[in-house]
Amino acid sequence: MTENKNKNKEEQGTVSRRDMLKMSLVAGAGVAIGASGLGAVASMTNVFADTSKTTSSAEGEDEIVPFYGAHQAGIITPQQTYAYVGAFDLTISTKKEVIELLKKWTALAASMSTGKAATRAPNDLLPPVDTGEAEDLPPARLTMTFGFGPTFFSKKGVDRFGIKNKAPKHLQDIPAMPKDHLQEPFVGGDVVIQVCAEDQQVAFHAIRNFIRTSVGKAELKWMQSGFISGAPGKTPRNLFGFKDGTANASPKDSKAHDASIWALDGEPSWMQGGSYMAFRKIKMFLEIWDRSSLKDQEDTFGRKKDSGAPYGKLKEHDPVNSFDMPATSHTALAKSTGKPIYRRAYSYTDGVDEKTGYVNAGLMFISYQKNPSTQFLPMLKVLAKSDKLNEYTQHIGSAMFAIPRGIKKGEYVGQALFQ
Amino acid sequence: MNFKKPLTYALVSLSIVSVPLLSACGKEEKKEVTHSSSSSNSMKAQVNELQKTLKQLQSNLEKKDAKLTSEDGKKLNKQWLSYENNIREKYPLLYTDTEKYLLPLYSETTKDSIAWSKVQDLSASLSRSLDNLKNAKENAHQTSTELKEAVKNYKEYVNEQVNAFIGATKTFTDAVRSANMDQAKEAYGKARVFYERIEPIAESLGDLDPKIDARENDVEGKWTGFHRIEKALWKEHTLKGMTPIANQLDQDVKDLHAKIKKVKLDPATIVAGSQELLNEAALTKVTGEEERYSRIDLVDLTSNVEGSQAVYHAVLPVLTTKNKDLAKQLDTEFNKMTELLAKYKKQGAFKDYKKLSKEEVRELSNQLKTLSESMSQTAEIFQ
Repeated sequence: MTENKNKNKEEQGTVSRRDMLKMSLVAGAGVAIGASGLGAVASMTNVFADTSKTTSSAEGEDEIVPFYGAHQAGIITPQQTYAYVGAFDLTISTKKEVIELLKKWTALAASMSTGKAATRAPNDLLPPVDTGEAEDLPPARLTMTFGFGPTFFSKKGVDRFGIKNKAPKHLQDIPAMPKDHLQEPFVGGDVVIQVCAEDQQVAFHAIRNFIRTSVGKAELKWMQSGFISGAPGKTPRNLFGFKDGTANASPKDSKAHDASIWALDGEPSWMQGGSYMAFRKIKMFLEIWDRSSLKDQEDTFGRKKDSGAPYGKLKEHDPVNSFDMPATSHTALAKSTGKPIYRRAYSYTDGVDEKTGYVNAGLMFISYQKNPSTQFLPMLKVLAKSDKLNEYTQHIGSAMFAIPRGIKKGEYVGQALFQ
Repeated sequence: MNFKKPLTYALVSLSIVSVPLLSACGKEEKKEVTHSSSSSNSMKAQVNELQKTLKQLQSNLEKKDAKLTSEDGKKLNKQWLSYENNIREKYPLLYTDTEKYLLPLYSETTKDSIAWSKVQDLSASLSRSLDNLKNAKENAHQTSTELKEAVKNYKEYVNEQVNAFIGATKTFTDAVRSANMDQAKEAYGKARVFYERIEPIAESLGDLDPKIDARENDVEGKWTGFHRIEKALWKEHTLKGMTPIANQLDQDVKDLHAKIKKVKLDPATIVAGSQELLNEAALTKVTGEEERYSRIDLVDLTSNVEGSQAVYHAVLPVLTTKNKDLAKQLDTEFNKMTELLAKYKKQGAFKDYKKLSKEEVRELSNQLKTLSESMSQTAEIFQ
């Protein structure tokens, strides 16, 4: 037993959730894992300190995705199974308060990304600092990605925080599209946090604690949960049963990322190495789709349902020739605009449609691109107008956010924006 | 001569997408084109040849090379002409399914100015048909005189509807032009009925559907058609400036009539259309999104169901042979739906959509769902 190591952990006031789990196993049923039991358990951490990193699970539940880096995590990070995306409207009015909030959120995010529980409260008459539901859970590749909407820089013409002149080049509300059915509150937002993890409870815990720490400074405008799952090494499928994200550049292809994802030249420094997030909540009429013939379904996408191969080809990743498929098929139209985006979509379900009794479900479409004006918007426009898929879908939410570059240790999110 | 069936070609060249499928017109004189081998192997080889040519055509299509595309189109047609008797005898339904894409494709490629996206759509569909043909089991798809009869009967129904639509639209637009609000309001619903019964066919005919039936935010450019006048009648309460819209509507409906008269239908298309009608009902009618201002959504809903039922009646003889239980089930579901809708009809007028309770809407939606589920199995008749 090395007392020193122990002390360090206690001084930091944090302890890995995975360590906690192991301690609880050793200590037996008598040890409480909640915040109140933290101190008692903490003294045993060293026993397991060296083993925690070598343990791994098939889904990468134990894996930590580094929070700090040149780019924010959660963009080219291989897609985790669960997501919560929350958009906040700030209720504060000064730059100083915004910085305080961002500092608080950054610290919280950095700590949660490693699977660490927050410091316990000084006494038990106070509410626990951490909400607790993730304490005995692994880091689960948790990522938290922060972004700023157009209203963050200027709301109704008012430069609330004196940062209007540092607004990124291409940030704008997504213009109204034909057949839009946008429904408040799923439109816009000052700040977005995209939380992804391999464990839904870990993901929810993260977004919940951001919400909690924002009370009095920001209000949650909308929140959307999602899931996506695919066999290892295979492109996951959406709720229409088709592969989603086939055209994405490989997560390791940094050249392609520079070409299509990362904002660089001409952007303010805080944005260089950042990206733009496009968000669309797309309702999918599952029941209608399920009654459509396979031919109609495949004609709609321009791809084969089972293999994901584009029309005229045999394999999923064979190059698309739009001319082999119906002109208004989803793939042909998306390709026609020529510029790739990086998709990171999740499926969602929202209970039952009160009116029709159909399942409320769809796609939380998220894409990242370095210039939405040339990559995303032209594509969306063409698709909104002519996509065969529109027969089975309805766009009900819309937002765009600028994602600042990655965070260096000691910095807070978007720090360069405020200096 | 590469041209086959002058009559068919004439029709096709009028840029109608579908082609006579079950009509045997002009086929007899080609009986002399016979083939030594009729084994399925030889057919596979023939389909392979067609696929090769199609592939080549698609690559020239990509380059937008009109000359080469046109040559490939000719070659495709020539190959088809020499193979088709062999194929038609054994696989009548797959034969028609191939021909309905191949002929218009060929026809389009002979034009001076080729509509590229049309060729693209047709070649994608043809590619699928050829795949199906290649993988077909002999006699797997047996066509029947009953199916042919079904299409004929349904086509008559469509003609009746579109004829009546012209008249009813005229009554409506006359009232609009004379600025008679009450008459226009009454005539509005009466005209909508005919359109809603045959909507999928109208939708397949290019940009006429948006011109006639677009809702406010459906189109980017100028908004015309029924719903524009609907807004004037029920929301703006004035018909000022509506005369040009009314005139345009008359013209668009006439164009629709002309196009529909020439359209050739096939069993697969009409069955898909019947399903589409129920989808329309479920997506925009039962949700009250179609008739935003007049609130006559139940009129449209009923018409969609009636249009779908017309297909059901047309294919009933075949369906009864193939799957008696499904035929019976559909009969029950259609009756239930009709009864349910009848509850909301008083003195010839349907209840205002916004006066329906939540529970009433849900009940309609549920019945529609049940009916649609059964209807989606109708394609069994092609097995």
